[in-house]
Amino acid sequence: MSVISIQNLGFRYPNSKNWVVEDLSLDVAAGEFLSIVGGSGVGKSTVLRIVAGLIQPQFGKIEISGNPDQGRRRRALVFQDGRLMPWRRVSENIHLGLEGLHLTKEQKQDRIDAVLKLTGLTKFAERWPHQLSGGQVQRVGIARALAVEPDILLMDEPFSAVDAMTRRHLQTELVRIWQGSGKAVVFVTHDIEEATYLSDRVIVLGGQPAQIVREEFFTMEREKRLDSSEHSGMSERLMASLNDGIVNGGAGT
Amino acid sequence: MDLGTLRRVAFGIGGITVFLLLWKASGDLEWVRRGTMPDPLAVPEAARDEWASGRLLPAIGSSLIHYIWGLSVGTVFGFLVGGLAATLRWFDEAHYYLVRLLRPIPPLAWVVFAIAWFQVSHAGAAFVIAIGVLWVNYFATYTAVQNIDPRYYELARAFGQGKYLQRTLKVTLPAAAPGIMGGMRAGVGQAWMTLIAAELLGVPGIGQEMNSAAGVGAYEAVVVYMLAISAVYALSDMMFSSIETMVLKWRP
Repeated sequence: MSVISIQNLGFRYPNSKNWVVEDLSLDVAAGEFLSIVGGSGVGKSTVLRIVAGLIQPQFGKIEISGNPDQGRRRRALVFQDGRLMPWRRVSENIHLGLEGLHLTKEQKQDRIDAVLKLTGLTKFAERWPHQLSGGQVQRVGIARALAVEPDILLMDEPFSAVDAMTRRHLQTELVRIWQGSGKAVVFVTHDIEEATYLSDRVIVLGGQPAQIVREEFFTMEREKRLDSSEHSGMSERLMASLNDGIVNGGAGT
Repeated sequence: MDLGTLRRVAFGIGGITVFLLLWKASGDLEWVRRGTMPDPLAVPEAARDEWASGRLLPAIGSSLIHYIWGLSVGTVFGFLVGGLAATLRWFDEAHYYLVRLLRPIPPLAWVVFAIAWFQVSHAGAAFVIAIGVLWVNYFATYTAVQNIDPRYYELARAFGQGKYLQRTLKVTLPAAAPGIMGGMRAGVGQAWMTLIAAELLGVPGIGQEMNSAAGVGAYEAVVVYMLAISAVYALSDMMFSSIETMVLKWRP
């Protein structure tokens, strides 16, 4: 069963002649971890924002299934820059998504406590954002998204601005959190290695308007992926189509 | 006290001493017309006299009434107009030419209407002060709101807080707070600047006392009132600054 169904999506920015996507269709299954990769400017983040409901496409349909529930949000977005409000403490930043939901004060606090624990931030709850490291900022961003108990977690290059060590650590943590959650994740990245480590499925966007130039499913257990030659072969093929998509604008793939 | 502080205090006192000496010399050597330069050494005595005469405190009290009213009204209106103009497009467009028309008029030019509308009253002085303060706050708020990083609005929208009121409370006000507070603090100073001039139109207060003291050649008394202005300003700025620190405690 798909939790997101995108049909014949068409979008271009106002005052631009070029379509970012012209006829893009894509389904995301419930509980699936999908990564979208592509070169910079190909439109990955734009597609994610359309799914997030932040921008309206000119054409096409996006169906988000799931039960409407006043205590949750269907979708939650994690930003590349973490995007915390500097004037709110960590716990207040997480609180943001809960504002307007039909929850009691106690329920909200329980949610906050739970996601703080899940992301290992409990002792940072009262910190101001400027007192956090880059990795901690991203974790708060993830905690804020998880607090609204979404069916779909949308992540826009969330680890691209942190150092390599922290990135690896956050990736492992993300997998742990996701595995117990049953949520679908749509993860945008330009890093093939990251995508193939995290995902059940990776699609490569290329060309203008952007199209899916390649799709690859990954079924191997994640712990084994890092040192499997079969897995790295698949990654390399994806890398080749990514480069191809960048060089040839996706033509002929 | 470390060496840096000691040095600063020593030089600070040195600066004031040199200033006082020059001031004294300017009177004794008659650099200006005889009898118009107050003697700095006579100022403490003049202060005692003004205090004993019972004029000093009521004058300060009266000035504070103008100050507080003018400052409050000017701040509130400047903040509202600036905030609305920066967040509502129709309001921005509607007020654009009007602002460019009214802004160049100095607050003191409004004294004429202050007298016409409010006669010589507290309200008249407060009105003139309010106009000066209004502009300072208007520009500070307008600029601060316009410079808010749009990514915060996107964040608010992503978490269901996209409506005008929600945006205003959750993004606009806190994000613009440093700039708005900066404007308010500048207004605290601006209000003092206009206060004395506004009172020269004859409303009881420090300005009027200065004027009447000068009229009888009591220039030492004028200095006493000047120092009173300085002291009250320092106090109000200090108060505001601690409010600012409290509101903006999230800043590094």
